[in-house]
Amino acid sequence: MIPKIYSIVIAITLVLYLSTGVLSQEDMLVIDNRPFADTTRPNAIFQHDVHNEKAEIEDCATCHHVYDEDKGEFIPDQSSEDQRCYECHDLKETGKKPGLMKAFHLKCKRCHQEQKKGPLMCGDCHRK
Amino acid sequence: MNELYQLLTGPMLWLTFFVFTFGTLYKLLSILVLTIQKEPFIMSVFSFKYGMRSILSWMTPFKPVSMKKHPVLSSVIYVFHICLFIAPLFLMAHITLLDESWGLVWPSLSDSLIDYLTLIVLACCLFYFIRRLTQKEVNYLTSQSDYILLAIVALPFFTGLMAYHQWFAYGFFLNLHILSGEIMLMAIPFTRLSHMIISPLTRAYMGSEFGEIRHAKDW
Repeated sequence: MIPKIYSIVIAITLVLYLSTGVLSQEDMLVIDNRPFADTTRPNAIFQHDVHNEKAEIEDCATCHHVYDEDKGEFIPDQSSEDQRCYECHDLKETGKKPGLMKAFHLKCKRCHQEQKKGPLMCGDCHRK
Repeated sequence: MNELYQLLTGPMLWLTFFVFTFGTLYKLLSILVLTIQKEPFIMSVFSFKYGMRSILSWMTPFKPVSMKKHPVLSSVIYVFHICLFIAPLFLMAHITLLDESWGLVWPSLSDSLIDYLTLIVLACCLFYFIRRLTQKEVNYLTSQSDYILLAIVALPFFTGLMAYHQWFAYGFFLNLHILSGEIMLMAIPFTRLSHMIISPLTRAYMGSEFGEIRHAKDW
């Protein structure tokens, strides 16, 4: 029966699709902008693994940091790659903690400025 | 491109702020000194009430007689100046950069609206250009510097439009956008763009003289 074959094909495709790691960072090509209610610019281009290999970043906490709000400093040996950025960074700035967009912008651009590598201009990440 | 971008948004921007701020102060001070030296009676005429009355009257659309006599030119001038200030000051990308550098934030307008305002500014510049070329009495009073000034004003808006849409060479147009904006700001105190600083003073003087001495309207 044709419909049965169809459903088997769909099921196999789905299993293959999920098992190849559709949700892993290997396939991450852009910054997820879903937390933002309305966006003015296209998603920032960011190929997670390609970027980190090129930039020789091995410590996850370089970006996925943990901040001690009481002490007012980053905790050196902890990282937060199991969390999403927006779980800590609200859309709006709260006290010293930058809002989500500002956190992204400053994290990327400050490093690019310090390393003298990587894009700084708005449209080099937010490509139309 | 990044090196140039960092130069333009770093040292060059500070130089621009310095030249603009101290240029403006110098301009104001030199006018004050010249007035006191050459026409000291002007100082005695100044009245806040009549000065403000004249400034506000001239800012009200179609209140001045001269505006009614030249409706097209007046409308273009009026719309041009509003768009000229609103477009850069309420653009989200500009406010974002200010926020990241100094933590300064204010509400922004939508990018598509600013797109239209930019096109209006450019259309007005084109109008001024054609007017200088074609209108006999205006052409007679036009010198090369008028065209250069017009280009100085139009360029930041044209390059901003190109950079925003990322048409052709994005990096080139963004850098040119920043540079041309800086040139415009630095030109304000030292060219006829200084009407931004001076025109309220001349208007206030006229208003004061007409209000206090001639007991008449000056619009």
